Amino acid sequence: MPQFFLNKRLIVLLVSIIFLVALIGFSLKERQNLTWPEQFIKDTAGFVQFIFHKPAQFVAGFFENVNDIKHTYKENKILKARLEEYAVLEAQVQELEKENARLREFLDKKESLRDFEPIQATVVGRNPDRWQELVIVNKGKRHGVTKDMAVITPSRALVGKVQHVSPFTATIQLLSASDQKNRISAFVQGEENAFGLIEGYDEKRKALLLRRIPFDAKIKEKQKVLTSGLGGVFPKGLVIGEVLEVEPDEYGLTQMAYVKPYANFYDIDDVIIAKRKIDDPKEEGE
Amino acid sequence: MKKLVLPFLVILFFVSESIVVDLWPKNGFYEKYIFVPRFLLIAIVFVTVYVTRFYGIVYGFVFGLLYDVFYTEILGVYMFIFVLIAYLTSKAMRVFHNNVLVTSFLSIVAVSVVEFYVYGIYLLIGKTDMPFEIFLYDRLFPTIFLNTIFVIFVSYPLKQQLIKLPIREREDEDYLL
Repeated sequence: MPQFFLNKRLIVLLVSIIFLVALIGFSLKERQNLTWPEQFIKDTAGFVQFIFHKPAQFVAGFFENVNDIKHTYKENKILKARLEEYAVLEAQVQELEKENARLREFLDKKESLRDFEPIQATVVGRNPDRWQELVIVNKGKRHGVTKDMAVITPSRALVGKVQHVSPFTATIQLLSASDQKNRISAFVQGEENAFGLIEGYDEKRKALLLRRIPFDAKIKEKQKVLTSGLGGVFPKGLVIGEVLEVEPDEYGLTQMAYVKPYANFYDIDDVIIAKRKIDDPKEEGE
Repeated sequence: MKKLVLPFLVILFFVSESIVVDLWPKNGFYEKYIFVPRFLLIAIVFVTVYVTRFYGIVYGFVFGLLYDVFYTEILGVYMFIFVLIAYLTSKAMRVFHNNVLVTSFLSIVAVSVVEFYVYGIYLLIGKTDMPFEIFLYDRLFPTIFLNTIFVIFVSYPLKQQLIKLPIREREDEDYLL
């Protein structure tokens, strides 16, 4: 027995396992903020990553461009066919936008849930062990990013939300993370909007799960799913994806839809963090 | 100036993992099979063998911590295993001959050990619900494949670099542990 306790290696091992469990427990609990040493390490490492990452991205981008040129002819043909369609749509949208602005003036309602201030950010790092899909970008608290903000691609499709911020970097959790706590209030666009919550991701079908839709809502395939802006800091009207399939939920009280996301979660270089304008204290004071 | 060579090398390996994942061509193949670059771990095994055990453990600790804080945000997981791998590698090298092939083989074993370990921990804390079979075929084998190719290319130049380093106390550091 005394021999057992004198075994230095064993004691070191046991102490470090206790330490390990404590640390894991600490990092799993719901944290609003990272501790300051973590923020400091993140910022420093983020800076180093940025230095290495930029040239690498540039070189890769060049090869990608060469690859793209090969497909240009075919794509051009398809796009030309759709150009007319687009022009009509564009005119319509402009008309509607104008009308919307005029009506808003009538109502003296200047701010809406839809308005957001875009914060451009570049990806500087990606979690290499792909258990959790985390992406690190080069904008942080100093640039106005806060926890839980929506993150979209340059083509305005939702990709994820901000998980943690440090002064100069932010960690983004992609929608494809199988995290039950990652809830987003959304609705299905139709004659009557059906509201629900995005909860989790189906790895096999590559689809998001839109749960808690009222049982009497009529949802068809191919309908678009957008953020509702009701759940907190997300702006309204960011596109998420389109409905693949609808089925009754576990207990049959609500419906569940599989939503095919528009954004490609894997191919992300630049993102936009959407800072909702309505939350800005300056504007509230006016 | 020469003192900075080793930290710089290891930082390079640390950064390269994220760059490889980010720049990997993103097609259906990428979505189906999960290739995890474990270059940092390979570097730590090589540092343990060709520099000293002490350096291996210290680098394992520091870069494991960096990995946890910067990439995964779950503290302790990689810090613990990198130190343990450095220690076990040094123990194993007493049994085997000191040879590049043996070291390469050991680093591949280390990669699979780490994969199993992280899978186990993530199952335990509920971060994943991947069935074992899928883990084996879609994750472990591609990962070993990728890292084997990497080791084949890198092992010899890395060894040469590490042997050149001016570190005095090689071989005589058995006072620790």
